[in-house]
Amino acid sequence: MKRWLKILLILIGLGILAGGIMVYRIYNKPHPDVTKEKGVELSAQNLYDAFRTNEADANTKYLGKAIELTGEVAAVSKNQDGNTVVDFKTNDPLFVINCIFIKAPGLLKPGETHTFKGFCTGYIPDANVVINEGVLVK
Amino acid sequence: MKLILSFLVSIVFFVSNADAQKIYATRNGKISFSSPADEDVKAVNNEVTSRIADNGQLTFSLLVKGFKFKLAEMQDHFNDQYAESNKFPRADFKGNIVNPSDVKFDKDGSYKATVKGDLTLHGVTKSITANGTIEIKGGKPVVSCQFTILLKDFAIDAARVTDKVNVDVSCQYQ
Repeated sequence: MKRWLKILLILIGLGILAGGIMVYRIYNKPHPDVTKEKGVELSAQNLYDAFRTNEADANTKYLGKAIELTGEVAAVSKNQDGNTVVDFKTNDPLFVINCIFIKAPGLLKPGETHTFKGFCTGYIPDANVVINEGVLVK
Repeated sequence: MKLILSFLVSIVFFVSNADAQKIYATRNGKISFSSPADEDVKAVNNEVTSRIADNGQLTFSLLVKGFKFKLAEMQDHFNDQYAESNKFPRADFKGNIVNPSDVKFDKDGSYKATVKGDLTLHGVTKSITANGTIEIKGGKPVVSCQFTILLKDFAIDAARVTDKVNVDVSCQYQ
């Protein structure tokens, strides 16, 4: 076999291998795991105050970040896909911190105080701050 | 006393009767989208805040980072390169049912409805119209509708992946 043909075949082989590795990585990259993250520790009230007083600043600090949130449970429900949702109280009766669990946290009741860790997806004025992909810390 | 206060607050948020207008709400409605060009491009958001009034007024707000993809890499690309969710964290829709008299909120049944309003996404506001169904079950509405948006209408350059997405709305209200 001619030398140039050998080199060409080796280059094609390397290209296919590199492409395969890239596709494998794209299809197998894991989603962030909040249990492996060090969360920013906040009370439900402090998180609400941060967004209400300066949304842009709070977005910079908390959007997409792991938050370890402590607060009083206002309500427990399920979303349309069956995941547990816990609303934590703020001092505004119409506003809650809406937390979605990745797996059922066990029996939680309104009035109890709990700590939840998840990723903050942002703020919807007059409604809630949302934290999802979360787990119960205590 | 606390229990009574919580009860009253829940009533105010979920079912208001101001001016004889009844408002239904959810904080955990569902909106998903998919690309007709690539079956891997699909995502779901289960944290949609929406309110619908029996006079036909309708609002939706969602957080763009709340869209979950099967593939983490695709989710990162969506947030960083296309939707720019740090810069434009929220999408909002505010509109009305065009044919409100056809929907009997006080009578269980399935009603065809057309909704028209302004969708703000990626910092751009466009008027959209969508046909859907409002089902009243046990006195509570469930809204379902599908529509297509062209990404260039919202200044999203995702031509390498897809030029449009099909949006599916499914919200159960309290």
